[in-house]
Amino acid sequence: MSDHGDHPAAAPSHGPITRLGELPAHSAAEAHGAGHAAADAGHDGHGAGDGHGGIGKYLLVFLALCALTTMSFFTYSSLWPWKNEPHVGWAFMMAVSCTKALLVVLFFMHVFWEANWKYVLTIPAAMMAIFLALMLVPDVGLRTRMVAQEREIHMARPSDVRLLEQAGEAQLLSDPAGAH
Amino acid sequence: MNATASAIPHDDHHGHGGAHDSHGDHGHHGPVLQYQPGLPLTRGKLIMWLFLSTEIMFFAALLGSYVVLRFGAPVWPKPHHVHLSEPIGAFNTFVLICSSVTIVLALEAAKANKQSLAKLWMVLTLVLGVLFLGVKGYEYSAKFSHGIYPWSPRSRVFEKPDLYYGSAVRARLGEPEIIDRLKALDETAETELSAEQVSARRRLQQVRQMVVSPDQQPFDLAVVADQVMPLPTEAAGGGHGGHAMGLNDIFPWLKLPAVIPGGTMWASTYFLLTGFHAIHVLVGLIVFAILLMYRLGPKRAGMIENAGLYWHFVDLVWIFLFPLLYLF
Repeated sequence: MSDHGDHPAAAPSHGPITRLGELPAHSAAEAHGAGHAAADAGHDGHGAGDGHGGIGKYLLVFLALCALTTMSFFTYSSLWPWKNEPHVGWAFMMAVSCTKALLVVLFFMHVFWEANWKYVLTIPAAMMAIFLALMLVPDVGLRTRMVAQEREIHMARPSDVRLLEQAGEAQLLSDPAGAH
Repeated sequence: MNATASAIPHDDHHGHGGAHDSHGDHGHHGPVLQYQPGLPLTRGKLIMWLFLSTEIMFFAALLGSYVVLRFGAPVWPKPHHVHLSEPIGAFNTFVLICSSVTIVLALEAAKANKQSLAKLWMVLTLVLGVLFLGVKGYEYSAKFSHGIYPWSPRSRVFEKPDLYYGSAVRARLGEPEIIDRLKALDETAETELSAEQVSARRRLQQVRQMVVSPDQQPFDLAVVADQVMPLPTEAAGGGHGGHAMGLNDIFPWLKLPAVIPGGTMWASTYFLLTGFHAIHVLVGLIVFAILLMYRLGPKRAGMIENAGLYWHFVDLVWIFLFPLLYLF
């Protein structure tokens, strides 16, 4: 939908700017107050009437979001077949999250029905986000093998986890009653 | 308002008489000047979107640093090690999704000039937001009760059962308050205690000897840590809230330092991410409370839409936080 043609309500309020004899001093304050509310009402989807709206669509999106949440929660259940390969679950959950995010942005935030200005805002932000993610690749790839000395003294290593597990299995202090 | 400056002299020059609208210049020579806003959307909405794009950066940076720390750490605790409950997290996700729907419905009702209906949806959104924060608060208190705090002097979490851990346990057992409690516990007749407490008392006595023993081995401290707060294993899903009962659970006043490998780094990231998210939720709730003071008719649709955009963004962040924190 082209928004330029879609502003019947907005046109008169911005009108004073091109209209003879009316100085901007008059228009600036009040035209923007009243004009914007009117513009908003007449804006995406021509008010209440129809357009995209429709509560049905929102409920459909809601159900989809619930179903997707259940799907990512499914990775936690014992039925999830890839328990021993966490990467499968991670990739799956991220895919589910991105789908949910897309649904929220497109429908709840109305981006699906917006005019082309949406690209002006979303594309640079998306590029920055991708750039940021790429900048993290070396950090993730190289792992933090270098740590501060203070941290090195206190931080746990896999061997400490094994030690704790062995201590748990040994049950040295449990009494015959087996109350542990 | 740059258009104003250039348009008015132009109109003066041509001396149009009578009314004409901005599209009325087509038949004239010279440049056609008409007012066009930079972007076809209201100022409030533009500002909200710009604000949200900075928010994307903000949370992308936080989530990014979480991912780097999470996958760079040699050891990271499992959700059960830090007493996270996945069903509670999933419930909170559901609550936020519901509140996203109610705010959208409030906007639709306001556009249709159904003011009381709009108000009802708005109140519902507010209630759901408060519910989310309530659940979050409950989760935080569960962390606090296990000694998991994001900062050092309060936190009772140690990363590994080393000598620092041993001396912290010894220091706690040496506090006057605890000495009195232990003395009282030792003097209590067995008949007044449950079987579990009797067994725990015996184990606690052994732990007390082990931490003061001059020839303790690293393994002894691991045994102490396991007694204080055992790490839940994959097999033992049952028990008390997903983990076996440790001395800290049986004697809540004991509050001994516990060992959670990777737990301190986990606590820092968890509280930072969920804390910032909770602050955003709180701000949203304040905005809703302010909106509720107005009549929610078509005139306020723009305000409701902007508040809704913000709220959906808060929901969006949680959509990523939930799997990253609870399920990874």
